[in-house]
Amino acid sequence: MNNRIREYRARFDMTQGDLARKVNVRRETIVFLEKNKYNPSLKLAHDIARVFGVTIEEIFIFEP
Amino acid sequence: MKRAYLVFIVAGLVLAATALWFLLSNTQFKLYDLVETGIIILVVGFAVYLGYKRFSSAKRGEPAEDEMSRKVMRKTASWSYYISLYLWLAIMYFSDRIKLENHALIGAGILGMAVVFAISWLVINFGGIKNE
Repeated sequence: MNNRIREYRARFDMTQGDLARKVNVRRETIVFLEKNKYNPSLKLAHDIARVFGVTIEEIFIFEP
Repeated sequence: MKRAYLVFIVAGLVLAATALWFLLSNTQFKLYDLVETGIIILVVGFAVYLGYKRFSSAKRGEPAEDEMSRKVMRKTASWSYYISLYLWLAIMYFSDRIKLENHALIGAGILGMAVVFAISWLVINFGGIKNE
């Protein structure tokens, strides 16, 4: 699964720490998400999408 | 935040106990004892690193642990349990072939479990968790 978190973060001029605090996770979790080394729970994916005001599908791209 | 302090307290107690054991012991220390102490210091260093990570996260206004760190801990516990079973099997096998006292073998087993846990955590934490 790929994601566009880094791209949206840059668009909203947000640091990894800013996003981490908004979705109540540690900064390392955002780092791992951006490196595609961690797949988030549905709740975290939903929270991230809500911060950027888009749907989950726009942020997370599922590739079977 | 409280758990971060707890890690520091436990690490301090382990170091103090090791120092007391060194100072009050009358027996001459062999190479095995020095290796054992070195491993204890490494394990305590690992615990302090974990505590520092939690502490710095809390200081930045982030949670001390989140869904990823909990998942890493769960997977680490699972891995280290299985690996430790083989470690104890190896200790049982070598106990007949190596001249070590029972308490030394048990100490080596407990320290080995701590080392296995630390290595498992490093591999899983820096390797990442995907599709689980």
